[in-house]
Amino acid sequence: MIGTLIPQSLLAIGIMIAITYFSRASGLLIMSRIPIGPKVKRFVDAMSSSVLIAVITPMIIHGDGGARLAALVAGGVAIFLRSPLLAIALGMAVAALWRY
Amino acid sequence: MTHSKEPTRLNVSGTLRGVRRMLPLAAFTVAFGLAFGVAAVHQGLSQWEAMLMSTLMFSAPSQFAALDLWDAELPILAMAITTLAIHTRHTLMSAALYPWLQPLPRWQQFTTVGVLTDSNWAMAISEYHRGERNVGFLLGGGLALWVAWVLGTGIGLFFGGGITEPERYGLDVIMLCFLLVITVGSGPRRELYLSWAAAAASAMVAYWFLPPYLHVVVGALTGGLVATAHFRDADTEEKQ
Repeated sequence: MIGTLIPQSLLAIGIMIAITYFSRASGLLIMSRIPIGPKVKRFVDAMSSSVLIAVITPMIIHGDGGARLAALVAGGVAIFLRSPLLAIALGMAVAALWRY
Repeated sequence: MTHSKEPTRLNVSGTLRGVRRMLPLAAFTVAFGLAFGVAAVHQGLSQWEAMLMSTLMFSAPSQFAALDLWDAELPILAMAITTLAIHTRHTLMSAALYPWLQPLPRWQQFTTVGVLTDSNWAMAISEYHRGERNVGFLLGGGLALWVAWVLGTGIGLFFGGGITEPERYGLDVIMLCFLLVITVGSGPRRELYLSWAAAAASAMVAYWFLPPYLHVVVGALTGGLVATAHFRDADTEEKQ
C-alpha cells in the first residue's frame, strides 16, 4: 500500500543498522577511556523504556476499540501471567473478536 | 566462584554451550520474528527491506518502532533518533562487558558485541559473575537468537503476504501488543511510573501540536529527564 523509493529506504535502514551496531560497540570504546556514572545509567535506563511508551500511547489513544482492548488484554497478561507470547496471541484474538 | 582463575578466551565449545542454553528462548524468538515478518508485510515493506533489518539491525523493539514510523516519505531523522533512544542501553551493557572482553583481540571483542541483545547479555553477565570466562557463552547465546530471529522473519514474510484483510485477524495490533509486552513484561518497576506517565503525556502533546514524528523523541527525552530529576530527589531524601 505504500510505495517507497528504494534508495530512501536503503538509506534509512543503513543508518539504523549503523546506530544499532554503534550502540553495541560504544560501551567497549567508552570504558577504555572513562567509566560511566550512575546518573547517566538512570537517564538511559528510563529513556529506553519511555521511548516505547511514547510510540505506544498514540496507537492506543487514536486506535479503534479493538486496538484498545488488545492493549488492555496484552498488557494485563504480560504483567500478571508473565507470558509474552500468550499476551500477544490473546491481544490479537480480542481485537479480531471485537471487529467480528 | 569455582573456576575464576581460568583465563578469558573465546572458543567453539563455549559458543556451543551458549547456543544450548539459549535454545528455549530462541524458540520464542522465532515466533517474535514471525510476528515482525507479518507486520512488515502489512506495513508495506518489501521482503528485502524486512530481511535486511532483521539480519543486520537484529533488534525487535527498534524494528517494530521503525515499522510504526514507516511512511511514503520516510522520516529518516525521526527513525534514527528513535533507534538511538531505544539502543543507548546497549552502550551500558557492552560497557559492563568491558572488563571481561578486554583481554581478547579487538576483532573478537567487536564481533561478539555485534550479536549483543538484552537476553544473552543478562545470561552471560550472570555466568561471568559465577566464574564463567569463555566469551563463547555470550557469542553462542547471541547467535542462537540471531538465527531464530532471521528464520522467524522469513517465515512471517512468506505467510504474511497471503493474508488480504489483516485487521480482521487482529494482525495490525501485533506491533502494539509486542511493544507493550516488552515494555511492561519484565514487571513494571515503580521508580519508572513517573517517567512513563511523563513520557506518555508529553508524547501526546507533541503528537497533537508538534510536527509529525517528534512525539517519540519528546517522550523518550522527557522520560529520561524525569527519571534523573526524580532519582536525585530520592538520593537527597535518603541522606537526610
